[in-house]
Amino acid sequence: MVSRWMYISLVILYSFLIGPFIIIFMASFGANANLAFPPQGFTLDWFANVFERSQFIDGFWVSLRLGLLATIASLIMGIPVAYALTRFQFAAAGLVETVFSAPILVPGLVIGFAMLKFYVRLGDLNVLTVLFIGHTAILFPYSVRVISASLRNLDPNVEDAAISLGASRLRGFLLVVLPNMQAGIAAAFVLGFITSFNNVPVSLFLSGPGVTTLPVAMFSYLEYHFDPTIGALSTLLVIFTIALVQTAERLLGLSQFV
Amino acid sequence: MPHLEIHDLTVSYVKDQPTLERFNLGVEQGELLSLLGPSGCGKTTTLRSVAGFIQPDAGRIVIDGRDYTRLPPNQRDIGLVFQSYALFPHLSVFDNVAFGLRMRRVSRNKVRSRVTTALEMVGLEAFAKRRPAQLSGGQQQRVALARATVIEPQVLLLDEPLSNLDARLRVDMRQEIRRLQQQLGITTLYVTHDQVEAMSISDRVVVMNQGEIEQIGTPESIFAAPETAFVADFMGFDNHFSAAVIALRDSKLTVEWGGAPIELRWRSKIGSPQIGDRAEVFFRADDASLTAGRDAHGLAGEVILSTFHGTELRYLVDTEIGEFSIMQDSASERYAPGAAVTVQPHTGKWIAIFGEREQPA
Repeated sequence: MVSRWMYISLVILYSFLIGPFIIIFMASFGANANLAFPPQGFTLDWFANVFERSQFIDGFWVSLRLGLLATIASLIMGIPVAYALTRFQFAAAGLVETVFSAPILVPGLVIGFAMLKFYVRLGDLNVLTVLFIGHTAILFPYSVRVISASLRNLDPNVEDAAISLGASRLRGFLLVVLPNMQAGIAAAFVLGFITSFNNVPVSLFLSGPGVTTLPVAMFSYLEYHFDPTIGALSTLLVIFTIALVQTAERLLGLSQFV
Repeated sequence: MPHLEIHDLTVSYVKDQPTLERFNLGVEQGELLSLLGPSGCGKTTTLRSVAGFIQPDAGRIVIDGRDYTRLPPNQRDIGLVFQSYALFPHLSVFDNVAFGLRMRRVSRNKVRSRVTTALEMVGLEAFAKRRPAQLSGGQQQRVALARATVIEPQVLLLDEPLSNLDARLRVDMRQEIRRLQQQLGITTLYVTHDQVEAMSISDRVVVMNQGEIEQIGTPESIFAAPETAFVADFMGFDNHFSAAVIALRDSKLTVEWGGAPIELRWRSKIGSPQIGDRAEVFFRADDASLTAGRDAHGLAGEVILSTFHGTELRYLVDTEIGEFSIMQDSASERYAPGAAVTVQPHTGKWIAIFGEREQPA
């Protein structure tokens, strides 16, 4: 029977997806100083420890600021590019789309390393500036793709309709096209923010002394400690991400774009 | 003087291959004029030039005596209806219709009353708060009509407005558009590729082919007397054959049909025909009848196919001058494939055409 096999494979698939998280979740409450499963005892000390360590708190704020700024910058550039790609036919459109998708296709480590080499050559740039540029670059193709998808659902004639009714080209765009891109922009925002917030490879190369993103801070912490603090922090991050996606889904119904 | 004048309009998308070249047309005040032709004939290019979305290489667009040629599209006083409706999906029906008035800074009270009147005229006053996605195709097109006419434009342009609707709705909407257009007395340019639609809705029809006017006239005159082979073919003259002119008298000419002379009307774009010229003779499938057996007064042939069409049967008849498609009342005598028949002409409705242009395939 098809349905039974589908059911079984679904259970297997989900246990692979969710299983590790459940283990981390439970272990983060364990009293043992090592990340152990099954956990022994119960404590919230590891959660407390997350908030006591300045590298996590600082890292969180760096990641949050970085995620917001890079996402906004990628949207500001992505909106006109997506608009041009969907509205105008030009010879190089295919090439442009390929170039813009390169950051999705090229491994993150390669991008991170290439950017490091490039910015070192550029000279003394602020670490946060470099991180901002790097993250904007990797988020840009996501913005273009998601916003293009939302624009393709919109009848291209609506702009001409607005113009024939007396709107200037700019007003037509602002009053008719932009409102219909809203859901796409919101989806690109959430996707971009999460991508930036979780990014390790690019941040790893571009972080500098004193300025570290949260995932990189976690990565370095793991090199010296193997206590459940990281488990507690991961639990908090998962809750944060789920809350973010759920809010966006409720407000905007973005699942139609991603 | 026509209300809308198009003078020597030339538009090229590709260099040296103009889609329109020195195209001239006038639409009278309050008239509904259709541009009818196959895709690529230049009808939509003409419409978009009038709307201002295409900047012509040369020529002038004049509306109500005012030169519109260099005017940007948002400053032209024109209502535009699209095949795809192009309603604003994020706005209610009311706000869609109000859009043009708000662009014109009409006061809030006037917007309310004019939009309400416009929605009443298309029977959608109860739907003002709905979003376009919650309406049927026909209702969406009515909203588009209300939106284009509420601004009381000088000229209304409709670009294949019914092509996205199903057949039955199309007939209703045709009447709706015509009624609204006459009620408002608005000068209208209507683009379509459907000759039945053009016939039923228009005061005058312009048949276009390859950027040129093939024929312009009332639906009746174009239907009954096409001037070119292209128009005849487009207007549903199913059959044609080539014949030598054997006599000329007054406004009629004589050709041979199955050994007997028949006298026909003629149209020519290349001057009067001479005896011996070859005419292209056109007739519709229901403008001939079949009689059983071989008869001296008509063209002998053999039935090769018969298909049933409700009240009529359509026969395909093979003769020595070609195959003809003939419609017969299904109540009349029936002929099986292989039957010998004679094709009798209804010569009053047949037409002989002289022209340089080849009959399109």
